[in-house]
Amino acid sequence: MKRLSIPAGLAVLVAALVMVFFLNSYYVYVLATVALVATVGVGLNVLLGLTGQISFGHVGFYAIGAYTVAILTSQAGWSFWPAWLAGALVATAAGLVLALPALRVKGPYLAMITIAFSFIVQHAIIEMDGLTGGQNGIMGIAAPVLGADWSIEQTVAVLALLTLAVSLLAYALLSRGTWGAAMRAVKDSETAAESVGLGPLVIKTVAFMVSAGLAGLAGGLFAPLAGFVTPDTFSFMQSILFVLVVIVGGAGSVIGPVIGAVILGVLPELLATLEAYRLLFFGGLLLVVLLVAPNGLIGLAKDLLAMVRRGDRPVRGAAPATAGAPSFSNRPRRGLSLSGLSMTFGGVRAVSDLSMTVPPAAVTSLIGPNGAGKTTVLNMVSGFYPPTGGHFSLGDRRLSAGRAFRIARHGVARTYQTSQLFDTLSVADNVALAGCRGRLGNLLGARRFLSTAVRQRAEALLAFCGYQGDLDVPASQLPHVDRRLVEIARALATDPDALLLDEPAAGLSREDTDRLAGLLRAIADAGVAVMVVEHDMELVMKVSDQVVVLDTGRLLAAGKPEQVRADPAVRRAYLGEDLDQARPVAERPPRTGPEWLGVNNLVAGYGAEPVLHGISLKVRQGEMVALLGANGAGKSTLMRTLAGLHPAQAGGVHLDGQALDKMPAEAIVRQGLVLVPEGRQVFPELSVQDNIRLGAFLCPGDREARLEEMFERFPRLRERRHQRAGLLSGGEQQMLAVARGLMSKPRVLLLDEPSLGLAPKIIDELFAALDQLRRENMTIVLVDQMAALALSLADRAYVIEGGRVMAEGSARDIAASPELADAYLGAG
Amino acid sequence: MLRISRVLVAAAFTALLAMLPWRAAVAAEPVKIGLITALSGQSALAGQAISRGVQLAIDEINANGGVLGGRELVLVRRDDESNPAKGVVAARELIHKEKVAVLFGGLDTPVALAIVPLANQAKMPFMDPWAAGTPITKNGADPNFVFRVSAMDELVDVAMVEYAQKNFGSEKFGLLMINNPWGESNHKGLVAALDAKGMKPAGSEKFDGDAIDVVPQLTRLRDAGADTIALVGNVGPSAQVVKSLRRMGWDVPIVSHWGPAGGRFTELAGPGAEKVHFVQTYSFFGDQSPVGKKVIAALTDKYDDINGPADITPAVGVANAYDAMHLTALAIDNAGSTDGEAIREGYFEIDTYPGLIKTYKDPFSKEQHDALGPQDYVWAQFIDNRIVPVGLQD
Amino acid sequence: MDTQLVSALISGLGMGSMYGLMALGFYITFAVSGTVNFAQGSSMMLGAVLCYTFAQTLGWPIWLAVPVALALCALYGVLVERLAVRPFVRRGSDAWLMSTVALGIVLDNVVMHTFGKEPRSLPSSLAVSPVEVGGLGLGVYPLQLIIPLVGLALAAALHLVARRTRWGSALLATSQNRDAARLMGIPISRAVAGAFALSTVLAGVAGMLIAPLANVNSDMGTLFGLKAFSVAILGGITSAWGVMIAGLLFGLAESLIIMSLGSGYTHIITFGLVIVALALRPNGLFGRAEVKKV
Repeated sequence: MKRLSIPAGLAVLVAALVMVFFLNSYYVYVLATVALVATVGVGLNVLLGLTGQISFGHVGFYAIGAYTVAILTSQAGWSFWPAWLAGALVATAAGLVLALPALRVKGPYLAMITIAFSFIVQHAIIEMDGLTGGQNGIMGIAAPVLGADWSIEQTVAVLALLTLAVSLLAYALLSRGTWGAAMRAVKDSETAAESVGLGPLVIKTVAFMVSAGLAGLAGGLFAPLAGFVTPDTFSFMQSILFVLVVIVGGAGSVIGPVIGAVILGVLPELLATLEAYRLLFFGGLLLVVLLVAPNGLIGLAKDLLAMVRRGDRPVRGAAPATAGAPSFSNRPRRGLSLSGLSMTFGGVRAVSDLSMTVPPAAVTSLIGPNGAGKTTVLNMVSGFYPPTGGHFSLGDRRLSAGRAFRIARHGVARTYQTSQLFDTLSVADNVALAGCRGRLGNLLGARRFLSTAVRQRAEALLAFCGYQGDLDVPASQLPHVDRRLVEIARALATDPDALLLDEPAAGLSREDTDRLAGLLRAIADAGVAVMVVEHDMELVMKVSDQVVVLDTGRLLAAGKPEQVRADPAVRRAYLGEDLDQARPVAERPPRTGPEWLGVNNLVAGYGAEPVLHGISLKVRQGEMVALLGANGAGKSTLMRTLAGLHPAQAGGVHLDGQALDKMPAEAIVRQGLVLVPEGRQVFPELSVQDNIRLGAFLCPGDREARLEEMFERFPRLRERRHQRAGLLSGGEQQMLAVARGLMSKPRVLLLDEPSLGLAPKIIDELFAALDQLRRENMTIVLVDQMAALALSLADRAYVIEGGRVMAEGSARDIAASPELADAYLGAG
Repeated sequence: MLRISRVLVAAAFTALLAMLPWRAAVAAEPVKIGLITALSGQSALAGQAISRGVQLAIDEINANGGVLGGRELVLVRRDDESNPAKGVVAARELIHKEKVAVLFGGLDTPVALAIVPLANQAKMPFMDPWAAGTPITKNGADPNFVFRVSAMDELVDVAMVEYAQKNFGSEKFGLLMINNPWGESNHKGLVAALDAKGMKPAGSEKFDGDAIDVVPQLTRLRDAGADTIALVGNVGPSAQVVKSLRRMGWDVPIVSHWGPAGGRFTELAGPGAEKVHFVQTYSFFGDQSPVGKKVIAALTDKYDDINGPADITPAVGVANAYDAMHLTALAIDNAGSTDGEAIREGYFEIDTYPGLIKTYKDPFSKEQHDALGPQDYVWAQFIDNRIVPVGLQD
Repeated sequence: MDTQLVSALISGLGMGSMYGLMALGFYITFAVSGTVNFAQGSSMMLGAVLCYTFAQTLGWPIWLAVPVALALCALYGVLVERLAVRPFVRRGSDAWLMSTVALGIVLDNVVMHTFGKEPRSLPSSLAVSPVEVGGLGLGVYPLQLIIPLVGLALAAALHLVARRTRWGSALLATSQNRDAARLMGIPISRAVAGAFALSTVLAGVAGMLIAPLANVNSDMGTLFGLKAFSVAILGGITSAWGVMIAGLLFGLAESLIIMSLGSGYTHIITFGLVIVALALRPNGLFGRAEVKKV
């Protein structure tokens, strides 16, 4: 494909150039216009396709280019060529000026700024009539001369086609090179881009300038082609047309804007005979084209090709599975030291006066209960939050907080709680780009990104991190574990002195966590100062050289793992007294109610890889069933699938004999299967009582009476009934979520991780309320991390691992079974 | 599912394309008359009036055996969306692809100005039935292929000043111009017309086409001591001026370009509309010549939405275009061919033609490409929903 | 000067509250679905044109013409969502921005060919005889005083509906957490369609209110819609009251600029102010700064 496209493009170019001399002047004019619009489209594609920014202001740059040429040739007596260059430069400069405010904002805000820009340009032209001729514009624009007997249209058409060809080539080079990758990276995740040393602002500004410059270049050619410039020519509608050119063609593809320009340039001409009905049909056809190809015609073509080729995609380029030596230099590295670091959010001290060191060649774990301020520390040290007090340094060098990408370039790399990869880049590209450490080289170059040495290093790093998958697959398609590994490899690619990892084990199976422990050890052994924020105590105890405990933002203890473990203050604050002593699991008579909820061979997943491989469950009426398993076992996916938030690929769900599968979520709620989702998900801006009332959306009958009932059940909520739910504590939010769920008159209540992130005392209170529900014969399916706690309430339990049911039985039997220990608690 | 719906949409797309009225190749050899005007957007009504005037004349000519001894005239219209760039593309298409014999066009002055160089270069007779910008016909080209049957801003502006002086004894003019090319062109013209009389405007203001409140601009003019308002604006905005004056309680004479004639001015402006005196090239109200009666009858007959003179809006568009088309047919016959240069000469050879606006005598010469002059302007005002020559209602 | 100032304030508030109403329409659909009808000006025009057609051309009494016109506006809103928004959102495409523009072009031109190309004026007894205010020698049409009141009353009513009614709070809930709203049994697709209907109705109301003052024709809404969009953005598209206040500020700024500098610079300055305001407050004047989640 790629190799074919250059000769094919050349052939089209030559054909178009020949046509210039054989068609009548009308067609030549249309051809030139299409080429100019396509050139603007290519420029806009740098924004839309590569950096994901939108601009409805490109007519402004186009006008600036055109007017610069018109003014300089008609009034200052310049010849065309220097005036053309000046037009492009002035437009580029305007791009820079607009980028300053524009890039502080996103999405619709950015659209608005660019719209405002195009209006300002148009009206400024009208008002500056001494220079611009005001409303009536400028005529008498000098035209370029190439061939003695060429007409103006022919000359401009040739220039426009050559300009288009050069811009396409430049776009292609930019897109495959280092800068193009950096632009895509910024589009995918600015945060992650900063943490590999890329400055998003600079990259986006460059994109804006390139884009504006191309629009100016095209505008400069438009002036002599039309022979005049007037403000009306550069109306807002023209800007919309430019964006359409990119969208209809397909953003992000090299040839997309050309196809879009051909369609949008030729369609109105074909419709010209419709006279007064032209715009009507144009609007209608546009709608049809967009409906047929919502991601552009190139996108449509790709979809169709993929449909044809599905199944025979060759698997290639798997990383060699050699866990060889780390491919980063074994140079001496510096450690981090934090001194008196503090952070205040709106009056709340998240971190106070924290001093600690992260020595090189060692693993330092930062632990503490939820809300202790651990991630805040990471965010300060990696430069995302400017600390409100104190400072930190790498070795002897004091790092100034503020811009994260500077800190990354100094040698502090990090990973995120939810992996932030550059999703549209391939695995290898993710790592290779990070290897540049923010130094991207020249705009169209690719050496720092594509050279063999860079690629080999990326492969070696991936292999070192234990990644064994395809190197060329887009990161978005990776399974969870691989995302973690690639993210760590990417962080290492910057050759950091210090590596910060935020909950690297979250969502990993025991086995994967063990491998992760090995990897962390190996990284530290290579001399890196490793700092880990982690909840998995087993991992922390196993891998750490030093453990630092935070509680409500203060340093509670620091030392070797065993010292910290023995510290009574730590045990009290963090581990909680009664988590050590297992709760008694009561023997209960088996429930004998009718079978109520049945799940049969349920398969579901994200993308190609299923997460659930045929899960079957049976729940009797009035029964409380616990679903147990490690993070990532598929429990939450199961809950979401049951509730209809996630589509099932196969299998069935029945409630009291009624099939629920394929129903949308709102219909499932109506049937009485109600999910209290993970993470509470209250409506933060609504009051507590309005939240509860919403639970009665489908059955508003005796709503107020039931609201009172909920306040009886959860007295804490009554005190807060008028408060905004977003201001409640985690425990209160959880109670609110349960109350809201109960308002839907559930026949089966699904509870997903109700205890997550709650203090032990609150957990007790919550579980007392659940126990009460159980005694009232509510049918409940409970997913909870705290296996012992869940088992103490449940009648029966299922153990799930890797999307399959590994064991089932009475709560007592399961509590004693080895499968539970293996799947859930790990080997320890 | 997805695939099916895409196929369906694609099929609908093809069907739509098939439905387009692709013009079939014409068997006979008619003479094509091109018309480029706004057929959509704000100026669409004026574009429609021009179209109707031209079409009516063409119908008459064809009924009488066409031109060049039996060749039919055919009108080919294009929408310029009031955008000069679109107008130029359309002009190229009509000249090079459709190969029209004469190009009509130019509703908005900038569009007309953009087409002028193209027409002169392609030796294509270009007839302007509306746009009043002075440099359209005085474009400096030799030979000049541009002709006009319409008012000319420069002359209208002089006429406005003279009319106000004579009828209202005006000494201090407040200029109120719409913020578009037309307004800008007349601003220059009025300043020049006043200058020629040794006067300066008391004040000069712009207002926007979508303005709802013109009180600030009017207040400044009043504070500057203006005793007359010279108004240039399309019908809607002109109506807003009357409404704002009513709010201010300021009873001031208004002389205006022909904007108010572009619609139902009384309906839009409310009480006080009759105070605006505006220039016209023709009025379908009052006593009509035989040609006038014939045209009104034909229009009422042909178009469902025309039931009387009040529905012929803007009247100048219909009248100018009607006469321009008849003059053009004479020029073609004089030329004896559809050759551009010959038709240009043909215009000069017209001696007498009894038209709608007047009886033309030697309307065009090498020096004079405008068929109408200040002596042809009629001053009119709105009485109820009728445009009536001033003084006629008494 | 005082007279001018009062006049500028009155017309600024009037225009501003209309911008605000239309901007509220943007806010509602954006909050519930993350999308807007980019051609909202056409919806406004539709309201005015339908009201004119029913009340004037067909001679219906106004109490019948207005609700029927608004009902048709709501229907058009649903059509926009079905035809130009949903197909794209479902496939993860941003092309709804463009498709709503395309649909707007279609509507404008259909109206031009059916309603006519001539600007018309919706007669209203409230916009014929000016009443004197405060002895300043300046009259004001009663409608000009009523418009800001109606605008603010509608915004307040909307607020109450959102807080007090079942469907109102369902819309709020959907805007705050889509998944959780589905778990309450709220049919999201109907909520989104409802939001588009409501937003189009608001634009239609603005069109009707302004019709007796302005002129009714097929492109009366184009620029108005764009200004309303800038108002929505300026207010911070996530804050209902912010949007309304931004509308009033925008209207006032516009009329004060015309008053002091003339109309030539209005667009340059108002749009320049929009850029400056957004550069200083990237989430709009009243939008809440989103916490940078890392």
